[in-house]
Formats: sequence, C-alpha cells, structure tokens
Amino acid sequence: MNGGTATLTARRLAIAVEARGLRHRFGPRVALEPQTFSFGEGGVVAATGPNGSGKSTLLRIVAGLLRPSGGESVVTLDGRAISAFDRRKVLGFSSPELSFYDEFTTSENLEFAARSALAALERVNLAERAGDRVGTLSSGLRQRLRLAFATLGDPPLLLLDEPGSHLDDDGHALVERVVREGAGRGLVLLATNDEREWRLAERRIQLRGRDLGHSA
Amino acid sequence: MPNGASSSAAAIWAILRKECRSEWRTRYGLSAALLFAVTTLTAVSFAAGRMPDRTDVLAALLWIVLLFAALAALAHSFVREVEAHTLTLLRLLASPSSIALGKLIFNLLFLGVLELVTVPLFLVLMGAPPPNWGPFLLLLALGSAALAAAATLVAALIAQTRGRGALFAALALPLLLPVLAATVSGTRAQWSGGSVAPAAKLLISYTLAVMAVSLLLYDHLWEE
Repeated sequence: MNGGTATLTARRLAIAVEARGLRHRFGPRVALEPQTFSFGEGGVVAATGPNGSGKSTLLRIVAGLLRPSGGESVVTLDGRAISAFDRRKVLGFSSPELSFYDEFTTSENLEFAARSALAALERVNLAERAGDRVGTLSSGLRQRLRLAFATLGDPPLLLLDEPGSHLDDDGHALVERVVREGAGRGLVLLATNDEREWRLAERRIQLRGRDLGHSA
Repeated sequence: MPNGASSSAAAIWAILRKECRSEWRTRYGLSAALLFAVTTLTAVSFAAGRMPDRTDVLAALLWIVLLFAALAALAHSFVREVEAHTLTLLRLLASPSSIALGKLIFNLLFLGVLELVTVPLFLVLMGAPPPNWGPFLLLLALGSAALAAAATLVAALIAQTRGRGALFAALALPLLLPVLAATVSGTRAQWSGGSVAPAAKLLISYTLAVMAVSLLLYDHLWEE
C-alpha cells in the first residue's frame, strides 16, 4: 500500500502479475482488447500503445481500482494471490487521474497515507515544498508528488501511468531513479509512450487499440 | 507489509482526521449549515413569534431546522471527493467500509457542533420551555446517529451519479421520514412529561438496520 516505513527492502520480493484474457469495455466502447501475459521475475515492464489503447485501463485493473469486463488479472506476492480488494496494500500507484487535497500541504497529503512523508518528498526533491499547499503547486510538482505517493512504503509492485508527464529533465532523471529502485524491490509496470521511459523496461506489452493486443 | 492506514481502525482514524482538518481549513459545510440554521430560526421566530405553550409545533420546527441544515452538508461528504477527483486517492488508502465509517463519525461530530449552536438558539428565540435534559439529549444523540447513518449511506450511493443533488433529496428524505417522526414525537413527549422510550427504541433499531445494510453495501460501492 502507499504507506508505512521507508526502509529499502534488500531482497526483491516475489511479486508476479498475470493477465488471462483480460479485457474491458466502457459501455459499447472497447477500452482494452483481450490481453494475456505473465510477468513473475520482477524488473520493469512497459505497456505502450496509441491514445485510447487501454494503457491506463490496464493499470487501473491491475491496481484493483477497476473490475474488468472479462478475463482476470492475478497478482501474487511470494506465491500468495492478492485479491483485487487488497491490492492497494502491496502496490504504489501514480496516474494523471490521481489528485490530492488542494487545501492540504504536500506533506499533509502524504502523512494522510503514511508517516514517512518527508522521506518520500526527499526522494522526489520536493522536501523544500513540504509546507506548501497542493493547490499552489505547478503541474510538474504535482507529478512529483504523485511519484512520492506511489513510492511510500517501498511497495513491491509499482504501477506508474505516464510517470514523466509535465516533468523537466531533472524530473525524468527522477523517474528513472524511481523505476530502477522499484525494479530492485519487485516489479514496475509502466504505461507510457515516452521513449525515455519505455527504454527502461526489459519487456513491453504493445497495446494496439481495437485491432489486436499481444505481449512481446 | 507497510501499514500507514492499512488496518481498519487506523484507516478510519486517518479518514476522520482528514475530514476534520479539511472542514477546519475550508469551513464549507459548517458555515453553510450554521448560516442556514440561524437564518431559518430567525425567520421563523419573526414570523411565528415565541410559542412556549405549543410544544408540538416547537418539536416539529426544531427537527425540521436541524434536518435541513444538516442535509446539504452531509450530502456533500462524498460528492466533494468525486468533484475534487480525490476518490482514487482514498480508494488506494483504505477500504470503502473504512472510508464510509470515517466519514460517518465525522458527520456525527458535525451534527454535534451544529446542534451545539442551533439548539440553545432555538430554545431562546422560540421561547421554548426548559427541556427535560436527560431524555432531550438522548433524543438529540439518537436522532443525530440515525440522521448521520442514513445520510452517509445515501451520500455514498449517489456520489458518482449524475444529478446527484436532486437524487440525494429524492432518496434521503423518504428514508429519513421515520427518523423525523420518531424524534419529533419523542421531543414532544419529553416536554409534555411522557416517555421517550418508544421513540428511542425506534431510533436505535433504525440506526442499527441502516448500519447493517451500509456495511454490506459499502465494499461494493465504487466498483467501476
């Protein structure tokens, strides 16, 4: 979950993500074509594809935030299946859709999730803005806050949707560091079309909208 | 695994603290509710005057003012999260049951503060006879619990719907009629020297029934 201690886990946790015929529709519109893949060795996986191909939908389903229309997603930790209901406890999640409370400061927003707020803010070079209200932050700084939120508690599964959006060059270097640290702990699943980001991945899931989708 | 707000009690406490802090910073709900209560009370006292011998009317007026002053704010407890796009953040931190229970406790505290201001003002402005404090406070507590439980459930149900404002009124008001009937009859009874036990029993049963249904429903609320 996005919370808890900031101790870096030395051992890479045996986290695995599997999709079996996973698909989703929003009403009549197909949001995610059937996907079947299995990633059990940790590291970095990138889901790429054109706009509307289902990258964000895939991450929301794996996070347990969205119930798929068909198929299933399975997340296991040390061989134990984690239900969609409980997945928030083992993952860190960042997405452009993730918003914070404007009336709270950056550190208050993270303290709401965990006690290790300052460490997480330091990780994304946002410690100097710990006392600033989120409503006053630029879009780039908000994105850093999302990354800090995702890395709270050093989760074994990191789901990052467009992690570099609105970030400058320093921010992209930060994303690379967050991804590499996440891969050291477990599995990182990126949803991105940014070459700087998908090049960090050892494996890719190429989503192709309505035509086809397959794992590569 | 890291915990943070992962255990239910910790999550409920975190949600409650967040709600209190947010209300303290913005004061949207409390300001609107208090403004409504004070202006309504003032208008009624000017229009109808003091009526110390009409405890039947006083009981009804008191609960109507409390109900409508509270409803607007209680309806927004989940709508605010949807409109600020913070529901995903909440769902990543706690189970729907914990979120709803945290908000329910906050709504109870909210009603307590609202009543702390509104009830003395009502008693003074309307020239109400001194209440039988024990039964009167019991009815206020039980009525608030029933009101908060029902309003929190309906607010959670309608949070992601279109036209949620109208839907809240359409769902909540019929659901709250038994609460209104019991609190009004109980309040009238304590002024006339009768027993408040029947009203208290009804309110306790109602709150328990709503809470039971809520706990069954909450974990399936926001499945997309």
